[in-house]
Amino acid sequence: MKFQIPIGPQHPALKEPISLRMTVEGEIIRDADIRLGYNHRGLEKLAEQKTWIQNIYLTERICGICSHSHTTCYVQGVEKLMELEPPKRGLYIRTLVAELERVHSHLLWLGVAGHEAGFDSFFMYTWRDREIVMDILEIITGNRVHYGINTIGGVRRDLDEQQIKHILDSLSVLRQRSEYYKHLGTNEPSFVARLAGVGYLSREDAIALCAVGPTLRASGVPMDVRKDDPYAVYDEVPFEVCTAETGDVLGRTVVRIKELFQCYNIIEYLLKNLPSGPVAVRAPRRAKPNEVVSRYEAPRGENIHYIKSNGTDKPERLKVRAPTLGNYAATIKMLKNGFIADVPLIFAAIDPCICCAERAVSLVDARTGQEKIIVMNDLKRLSRRLSAGNIRKREAEWPL
Amino acid sequence: MLTKLTQWSRLKSPWILHLNTGACNACDIEVVAALTPRFDVERFGILLKATPRHADVIVCTGPATRQMKDRLIRIYEQTPDPKFVIAVGACAMSGCVYRGAYNVIGGIDQVIPVDVYVPGCPVRPDAVIDGVVKLLNKLKG
Amino acid sequence: MNDQTLIDKAKASLGDKVLDITNPAPRRIFIKLKVDDLLAAVNWLKNEMGFTHLATITGVDLGQAFELIYHFANSFTCVNLRTEIPRDNPLLPSICQLIPGAVLYERELQDMFGIVVQNIPDGRPLVLPDDWPAGNYPLRKDWKYERPPEVIPGGKR
Ligand code: SF4
Repeated sequence: MKFQIPIGPQHPALKEPISLRMTVEGEIIRDADIRLGYNHRGLEKLAEQKTWIQNIYLTERICGICSHSHTTCYVQGVEKLMELEPPKRGLYIRTLVAELERVHSHLLWLGVAGHEAGFDSFFMYTWRDREIVMDILEIITGNRVHYGINTIGGVRRDLDEQQIKHILDSLSVLRQRSEYYKHLGTNEPSFVARLAGVGYLSREDAIALCAVGPTLRASGVPMDVRKDDPYAVYDEVPFEVCTAETGDVLGRTVVRIKELFQCYNIIEYLLKNLPSGPVAVRAPRRAKPNEVVSRYEAPRGENIHYIKSNGTDKPERLKVRAPTLGNYAATIKMLKNGFIADVPLIFAAIDPCICCAERAVSLVDARTGQEKIIVMNDLKRLSRRLSAGNIRKREAEWPL
Repeated sequence: MLTKLTQWSRLKSPWILHLNTGACNACDIEVVAALTPRFDVERFGILLKATPRHADVIVCTGPATRQMKDRLIRIYEQTPDPKFVIAVGACAMSGCVYRGAYNVIGGIDQVIPVDVYVPGCPVRPDAVIDGVVKLLNKLKG
Repeated sequence: MNDQTLIDKAKASLGDKVLDITNPAPRRIFIKLKVDDLLAAVNWLKNEMGFTHLATITGVDLGQAFELIYHFANSFTCVNLRTEIPRDNPLLPSICQLIPGAVLYERELQDMFGIVVQNIPDGRPLVLPDDWPAGNYPLRKDWKYERPPEVIPGGKR
């Protein structure tokens, strides 16, 4: 017997409203369908009515967690259109903020994963440490979330010695704490057992469905725009692309934890080798008619902007593809034939995070509620049979 | 006597429902950050609830998008009386940068009545706490 | 492989299907095609050149026509296939048989430009709200939005 469960659009813990409609048979999801648009604001149209400078602040507000990635992606493109060469120091600071953002985003994600797996103290721990990063960001940019540090032709604020020292000090605290999370996240038996084998995405599927970012890398594809198509100063900075082979939520956790350590190394390198000089150059108000494709590796994956100018001070077209959209098709694949109880985890794993299946209950109407009672017996039988046959889960290996 | 008791309990444990009506996530993570050890709103008896049926206060972030409008009204109706709405962030107050976009209606107050406005883009967690405490004072008075 | 070898191979394999090929910046290649040759070119890119990752599809309203740009990427370069379809007959073949992940982008195109994607496996609206009036395509240049007047709750003071 099949019935449908709507999930969303309202949900308690986090992030964008989105609606999922899942066809389930007992506990097993047979089909999933995603309805976007609750958060659709018409930004691409709006961007055509604003000037180049105004659009920096508009793109910043596409997403609150990777705000710097969208502005950097946009600003890089516009700099190419205007044929500007931002000074080295500006680029270093831009990269520094980008990496700090990656740290805060990954810590946030780790917390959310912990929360979804029912490990709430992990959530509280990581979010406590996230405040350290937020403090650094506030000190160097003046704001906690929307930094507003990018401008066309460079960055708006410089760093001084004291700030550099503060960042390096905080970094050692963060390193220490991350060691602990690495240990916890990959050795704590109940946590690992909850994550391993959930939301499996094979290498072939990940490629075919155009997955991006840690989701793709956790399936063993070493694709990272920072390496493949270096922007800013990534061609000077030594770092590694982190991958995992397991292709499940555990793999995605491992990739993110490994990336945290890479980020710390990059930040340290940037601060130690910070060149002197100005941080920005003056930008013209108009851009010649041209077009550019700008790519950026956001914490969640590849971010791509297509910008077309027409000679005025406003863009002709700004197309934004955020990484989450690239991952939706893969998510549906991961959800199919999984358990309802895994939905929040799988969804959280790509990091747009529509979490908390309990929210479903809040919007399920009486009709589906009744249906649920009818299938209760079926459901128990089915789930027992299935958990017996679920080899993947039992065979999952610990990655570290 | 009984009214005093209900008022006392209402003041001591405002349960909140966090609702994103099209925000950019920044306000949302700041609301969630207010729950975590650094800010810890649970000191005030504030608890984040998952469903509107348990909540006293709806914390709205983000401008009301066209698609969310009906859902917003539905959630408002599902919340038991007495209910209060806090509009968090510049978006929820007026629409912020999205003002004038075709899919955005405007602030939350275009759709449902709002009791407290908390400005900021994004709001700081301290401001969220301040907003809730202001609401409590309003209730007292 | 670098940009130049790819350009040479494109010229060799696609022959006169290629209308124009440019390389404005390192790792950015724009190839212009007729819309009928699109599937063949995607097939070539995917199966012979190994470009399996479609980053996105951009639509641009040029006035008389819609321009579509398919952004493909792999680890050494980024290839952008560009094609045009007339505005009064906006028909586009779906590339979902070759690249299943393209479906979301094609649905978005349908919503935003009113392009009809043929053979799309799943053609429901994606981003626009349920009560959106039919026949309005926000990203067309001639579509203008008038903001309805806002009410100030409690009146102006
Ligand atoms: S007020 Fe600012 S930070 Fe908050 S949701 Fe709106 S744009 Fe985002």
